[in-house]
Amino acid sequence: MNKLLNKSMRAFVLYAGIVLACSIPAYYAIIDFIWAHELKEHNRIVSATTRQNLQALSLTDKELSETVALWNKLQPETQLQPVAALRPDSTYNIYRKNKYIPAKGWDRFQGLVTYFTINGKVFRLTQEVNMEESHETIIAIAGVAFLFFLILLGGLIFINKRTSEKLWRPFYSSLQKIQAFDLHRQYAIEFEKTGIEEFETLNHHLEKLIAGNIAVYKQQKEFTQNASHELQTPLSIVRFKLDLLHQSKPITDEQSALIDEAHQSLSKVTRINKNLLLLAKIENSQFSGKEAINLSALLEKHISLLDDFLEDKQLQVIKHIAPDVVLSGNKTLTEILLTNLIMNAVRHSQPKDTVTITLKTHLLEISNTGAMPLEEKMLFRRFGTSSPNTTGTGLGLAIVRQICQLHGWQESYRFENGFHLFSIAWA
Amino acid sequence: MKLLIIEDEIQLAQSIISYLSGENYVCEYAGTYQQALAKIEMFEYECILLDLMLPGGDGIRLLEEIKKRDKEEGIIIISAKDSYEDKILGLQTGADDYLAKPFHLPELSARIFSIIRRRKFNNSNIIRQNELTINLLSKTVLINNAPVILTKKEFDLLLYFIGNKNKVISKNALAEHLSGDIAGMLDDHNFIYAHIKNLKKKLGEAGCGHYLKTIYGTGYRWEV
Repeated sequence: MNKLLNKSMRAFVLYAGIVLACSIPAYYAIIDFIWAHELKEHNRIVSATTRQNLQALSLTDKELSETVALWNKLQPETQLQPVAALRPDSTYNIYRKNKYIPAKGWDRFQGLVTYFTINGKVFRLTQEVNMEESHETIIAIAGVAFLFFLILLGGLIFINKRTSEKLWRPFYSSLQKIQAFDLHRQYAIEFEKTGIEEFETLNHHLEKLIAGNIAVYKQQKEFTQNASHELQTPLSIVRFKLDLLHQSKPITDEQSALIDEAHQSLSKVTRINKNLLLLAKIENSQFSGKEAINLSALLEKHISLLDDFLEDKQLQVIKHIAPDVVLSGNKTLTEILLTNLIMNAVRHSQPKDTVTITLKTHLLEISNTGAMPLEEKMLFRRFGTSSPNTTGTGLGLAIVRQICQLHGWQESYRFENGFHLFSIAWA
Repeated sequence: MKLLIIEDEIQLAQSIISYLSGENYVCEYAGTYQQALAKIEMFEYECILLDLMLPGGDGIRLLEEIKKRDKEEGIIIISAKDSYEDKILGLQTGADDYLAKPFHLPELSARIFSIIRRRKFNNSNIIRQNELTINLLSKTVLINNAPVILTKKEFDLLLYFIGNKNKVISKNALAEHLSGDIAGMLDDHNFIYAHIKNLKKKLGEAGCGHYLKTIYGTGYRWEV
């Protein structure tokens, strides 16, 4: 993912690169033009000086031809030759191999051909001067341009980082706060004052949004809690009336059975209600007390409490309980967690099945026989696995998850060799 | 024996009164904090049932008021609050028992029965019924003066029945009495049959009359 700061940087660097690249041919053209212009001027001056000096010498024809021959020998880059007729001056620009220092390879020359007369004879003067080769110029310019590009790049990065960081600091600070925000924990976020209009607007709206969310969340939780509380009384009334109805005389077997069935459903509703209330209380952080719990002892105590149910189903319980495993947590909640996990295993076992309870220093695992793997995603959800025909409330494992989250423990489920394995791990 | 029921929900109070009035109890009713306070100041009660959420004042403050008067009554809190902290607070303030709503009426009756007998000095923690003698303190049972060894659960069940004489007790109420909330987590409560069968057998073998009747299909009744 791109970071905001890099995004603007990339455009800057690309633009600087293009401009500097385009500057290379422009610099070359200008430098070459000035150079050629200056050398042409130089050639013209030298030619004119040569002509004037030769004319001023007033040599005889013989002296003149000797001088010209000597000249041509001493100065190979300039040639003075007699020609038939006067012609207009001309310039040329050629590459030639260096005759004297072959290692230098090709050299570039700027030349001027002028015509003039001495003693009535027409002479052609070819004046040449060495000029910097194009590729050397281009390399030099490109090198300089690249060097400046690097300097520019470094500067851009540095300045961009400095100013952008300053500029975007409020944004990143807000971002960090939003990341750290947890709806369950119920505290509102306070953004710092930035003095920048856009950030102020952003923060203001974020604050509004978060406050709204907290309010809705609170309302929802309070609703659950209030609803559960409100339900307690009518549930009590129905139960009392059923108890009274049971005492009416005469009572038939059929009536008695009806009352009993009503009691059973009523007790399921009561438990769902209690569990919802419990979940709301955990979410509202109403269980704060933590203490060191001897989990080994607590587990043994719980298993013996559930003796009746284990015997009822003739379940075989295999215990691998390490002694004196101590865990820091809320005792009430830990007891609920143990009850829910063990009863979950008991309820879903067939008669004469095996339930294995393993406790290690950092792990509690409860397994029972099963035919098919269960869908883990639904298991720990509220009413994720509830069905109308069982006594389960569909909340037991959701409560287990909630308790684990509160304590920072890790709950998990897996299916292995025909066993459902529920485990809780802690650090 | 006189009972005071302090409860703002009239339907609940009526049901409680209706259930208990068959058993030698005279029930009085107070629906608000002030009414309750007035009754406590004027009369003596064997047992007070106290709801914590009352119009006109906090139930815990009322409990403090009752304890200040230094009388001999037993106090049972009946409340919709069922957290550990609420229970501890209630018991520490001086209540003898704490029952979270919703509960079964037989459960309440059994607890009132025990508390009244525990509270009295003159040997009344011994319960006698014909050949049957139960000592509440030592938790022992004698039949025709010969001891009968009962398990803790069987003893609990026996007391529960004695506290609900001539009443039909549903299996559901018995299961909840023995294992609390956990009872509802399973469909069948066969363990109750087992405990009751054992209790009947032990009592019968020791020569006790057949007071414990099975109401065919769903419940039990202790008939005297």
